[in-house]
Amino acid sequence: MIFVTVGSMMAFDRLIISMDKWARAHADTDVLAQIGEGTYRPNHMRWTRMLAPSKFQEVVHDAALMVAHAGMGSYFVAAEMHKPIVMLPRLAANREHTTDHQLHTIKWLRDRPGVYAAMRDAELDSAIDKAMAGGRIAGPDFMNFAPEPFLRRVRHFLVT
Amino acid sequence: MRRLLPAFDGLEVVFVSVHSAYAEQVSGNRFYAVRDVTRWDRIGLAILVAQLTLILLRERPRVVVTTGSAPGMISLALAKCLLRSKTMWIDSIANCEQVSLSGMRAKRFCDVWLTQWPHLQRTDGPECWGAVL
Repeated sequence: MIFVTVGSMMAFDRLIISMDKWARAHADTDVLAQIGEGTYRPNHMRWTRMLAPSKFQEVVHDAALMVAHAGMGSYFVAAEMHKPIVMLPRLAANREHTTDHQLHTIKWLRDRPGVYAAMRDAELDSAIDKAMAGGRIAGPDFMNFAPEPFLRRVRHFLVT
Repeated sequence: MRRLLPAFDGLEVVFVSVHSAYAEQVSGNRFYAVRDVTRWDRIGLAILVAQLTLILLRERPRVVVTTGSAPGMISLALAKCLLRSKTMWIDSIANCEQVSLSGMRAKRFCDVWLTQWPHLQRTDGPECWGAVL
């Protein structure tokens, strides 16, 4: 199963429309999409507006691949669950986000194992192929909490 | 924020999120959901300010910590102005080329103003104490 997510906040129809096309061309693959507040309703893949966090984790656990916007939350879940992730950044010019910070995020994340960047929706197909063939997972050495020195300084601020 | 949870160990912590579904991830703590807004949404902004004011007056936090975006910035501003709480802004790790717009606005309401990227550190702030990853 491939799990597609636009994160938890704003619509990202460009990703959903592209993945609906992909699902039509790959009818043998089960695809589930969390479409958020998007107005486009998929015809060729299962979809839901928003999954509760526990259900979300369950779905990622069962997925072979995540296809997501370039949000840190999506990367964290993929890394935590050791899944490959294809990421398409939201663009401010399309009003997909307030700023272009997802372009910065993807530039930084794209060199990490298991992260497959699609800079434009036209690149989604090849990024998915690479991710399926590559067999690399995100976050092979992922820890569930921030590094200890950072935690210690935050703790010190909280208690003094 | 969940990646910082060990730092809160044993303290009385109240969580506020724009998603009510996140309550289950911090069960055992008091939890409030508030309206999610962007800077495009004026009416939402007014509702959010009212919600946060009520939460702050009820809970009277000694410290307020946020990892950002507009609701987090407004929380810090209100907590500082209404309650003189200690405040900490941790700019999202997603902002690796510049501090977020909300982060820039939060600066004047922060006791500690953090970026997670060493190269964004400046002598007049923000500081970098490390990253959640």
